[in-house]
Amino acid sequence: MIQFDNLSKRYAGGFEALKAINLNVNAGELAFLTGHSGAGKSTLLKLLMLLERPSSGTLLINGKNINRLADNKIPAYRRQLGVVFQDHQLLMDRSVFDNVALPLQVAGQSRKEIGRRVRAALDGVGLLSKERHSPRMLSGGEQQRVGIARAVVHKPRILLADEPTGNLDPGLSAEIMALFRRFQDVGVTVLIASHDIDLINQMNCRIIRLEQGMVADDGGACGSVI
Amino acid sequence: MAQSSNAKGRRGAVEAKTGLLGRIRAAFGHHSHTFQDSLKRLAKDPLQTLMTASVIAIALSLPASLFLAVDNARQFENSFESFSQITVYVDNNASQKQISYIESQLRDIVEVASVIYISPDQALQEFTHNSGFGSALKYLESNPLPPVFIIEPMANVVLETNQVQPLLAKISQIAEVEDTQIDMLWLQRLRSLTQIGQKIVFALGFVLALGVLVIVGNSIRLTIHGRREEIIVVKLVGGTDAYVRRPFLYSGMLMGLIGAMGAALIIVVGFWWLGGSVAQLSELYSSQFRLHSLGVQGCLVLIAVGASLGLSGSWLAVTRHLKNIKPR
Repeated sequence: MIQFDNLSKRYAGGFEALKAINLNVNAGELAFLTGHSGAGKSTLLKLLMLLERPSSGTLLINGKNINRLADNKIPAYRRQLGVVFQDHQLLMDRSVFDNVALPLQVAGQSRKEIGRRVRAALDGVGLLSKERHSPRMLSGGEQQRVGIARAVVHKPRILLADEPTGNLDPGLSAEIMALFRRFQDVGVTVLIASHDIDLINQMNCRIIRLEQGMVADDGGACGSVI
Repeated sequence: MAQSSNAKGRRGAVEAKTGLLGRIRAAFGHHSHTFQDSLKRLAKDPLQTLMTASVIAIALSLPASLFLAVDNARQFENSFESFSQITVYVDNNASQKQISYIESQLRDIVEVASVIYISPDQALQEFTHNSGFGSALKYLESNPLPPVFIIEPMANVVLETNQVQPLLAKISQIAEVEDTQIDMLWLQRLRSLTQIGQKIVFALGFVLALGVLVIVGNSIRLTIHGRREEIIVVKLVGGTDAYVRRPFLYSGMLMGLIGAMGAALIIVVGFWWLGGSVAQLSELYSSQFRLHSLGVQGCLVLIAVGASLGLSGSWLAVTRHLKNIKPR
């Protein structure tokens, strides 16, 4: 599903964030991306979101090379992804419902369809009762779950998460991870960047460790135990 | 429940599942939603909206009222079209035969639209009737008034100054014609003045239209700045540039629209206020001239101009400033 071939990213200042990365994440796989800050986790996710373009090498998504994707095709590409951010990127001036509805609105879905899907997504993260609330009124864990609902409301095939538990206590973090596991169970490819080693080890999943822009360690596969 | 629906939806892309009709309906729904949202945002900050709208209103009402003033002056000119005549005085001693010869000569001139003959007797009668000197005239031994032709030139002669002199020369050449007199010189002066006025209106209109573009553009720039976070999130979840642009275009259009409505109000009230005095004045001159105001059609044109200026201004601002907002 996600395939990096000899992929490098050098920033304008000369800093080489990723050096000849070779990686393959299969459809329906849940993999963790770990490493110290500055190891290249964020850059890798940015390349996947097309926020940055690779300097060399190829990036295949579902067999398609997205290196040379035209700028006007980027919105359509991003709609295939679901992204969970560390700071959740919720809009505080609108309700939980409207936040989750955003990916469907930009895709031009009908109001009826939006209502149905948003409620299904909020139900999935256990926040159906709070759809009329402002995100401001929710706890950190709840805000992150709204972020996850927004990331999956349009049923993406790939779910990316950048430090999704970065600001949460261990109990809440485990809850969030369990949610990701559920999306994997229904066939979504999930890639999570995290430096929370203890939590990752508990998950018993594939762990890709980056070090100074290179893959230092890549091993394990998801067991069904949690 | 969420899981089962996820499993079903995974098969097809989101777009493929919605029919064409559904997509059109959704697009309409989105447009009306965006429009309402833009209205709500303008209403949320009434002071800012009112200030921007009133600046636009003033900027639009200035050239529009000047345009109306020039238009009124032109109507005034047209109401005096009958004054742009040439009076031809014939020798007092001319015989009836000579007079009818002159008349046929005058009718043969291409630039002449109509010829009216006023005999000395007719003229005297008219003068007696109108002047109030009737009894005094009785003491005159003979009728001092000459035979007169009133000539109405073709419309194009009235318009073009340089065609008047050759026409006068042609008339003077006819035998027994003593003198010619025109009373359209002042009208031509007025006409030149209104032409200058028209040019000023265009120049002023152009400059102030640019001003409206800048006003709307600046206001939209501030709005874009205030909604930066939202723009980034929309882009991250796959919103197209057109989607991002839309609410700003609606806001700009609405601002122009509201401003133009204000301008129309200013003009209608102003001309109504002025109209009474102008009517009084023209009655003193026993003229039928009345100040005409904007009218429904004029209001609609003004509002359309305002809305399109607002739209263009926001378009310029959006194209310029959205480029600078990239998701991190």
